[in-house]
Amino acid sequence: MMDQEINEDSGGESSILVWLTGITFFAAMAAIFLFVPTEKTEGPIQRIMYFHIPSAWLSFFAFFIVFVSSILFLWKKEREWDIYANASAEIGVIFCSLVLITGPIWAKPIWGTWWVWDARLTSTLILWLIYVAYLMLRAQTDAGSMRARYAAVLGIVGFLNIPFIHFSVLWWRTFHPQPKVISSEGFGKGMDPSMLATLGVSLGAFTLLYFLLMGQRIRQEKLKDEIDRLKREKLFSS
Amino acid sequence: MDNFGFLFAANAFVWGGIIYYVYTLKQRNRELEKDLALLKEAIGKESR
Repeated sequence: MMDQEINEDSGGESSILVWLTGITFFAAMAAIFLFVPTEKTEGPIQRIMYFHIPSAWLSFFAFFIVFVSSILFLWKKEREWDIYANASAEIGVIFCSLVLITGPIWAKPIWGTWWVWDARLTSTLILWLIYVAYLMLRAQTDAGSMRARYAAVLGIVGFLNIPFIHFSVLWWRTFHPQPKVISSEGFGKGMDPSMLATLGVSLGAFTLLYFLLMGQRIRQEKLKDEIDRLKREKLFSS
Repeated sequence: MDNFGFLFAANAFVWGGIIYYVYTLKQRNRELEKDLALLKEAIGKESR
């Protein structure tokens, strides 16, 4: 019964999502490399922004899902919320890693150095370390409600770093560029409209990718649960 | 100031990272499905 549900989850909806994600990514790549004008001062290297910002958005969104799912798990004690938190944390770490890789690649030709210990960069690294610790906690401790509870607490505490990351460039003088999409001038006022549109398509593609990856990770966790359940049944029957 | 090499490197890391992650997810799913099928087969044999 459970197995049937797991297989049903990966049916037609998933293939529509695969196609939609593929088409949006294709549109994003065409916009990044063919449509959007080259920025005057930075040159072609500025195009990294169209990967870097969506990767950051996706990781923040993923950690927000961890935060909400963790609260709901502690409140309702339902395994479903623990599955969502675990799945989302892994995706968040992958994309936070891409942020920490693409940022220095942009910084080297622009700042002349790969890394500076400013507030934005350091707080992003701390965020990454917190969620790596979250995944290690889950991997190193035995499955059960205590593991889920500890992980939920860490998932909630880790998310509190994200507002700090967002406002760090406003609170301190940092090397990192000031926000241009949501700025004091208004939404997207600090950007060329074609750049804003390209960034929007790229953000859409990365968001669709998140849901696609989440579907796969949730299915994986449910398969693991089903295997554990059958193993227990087999043990008790023999 | 072209820096196409840096742009290419960033692009390669992003796509490489995504493709590798999707590949490992698919592999893990395949292994779990295999384990589940074997387990069901073993339980089926025992109950017969």
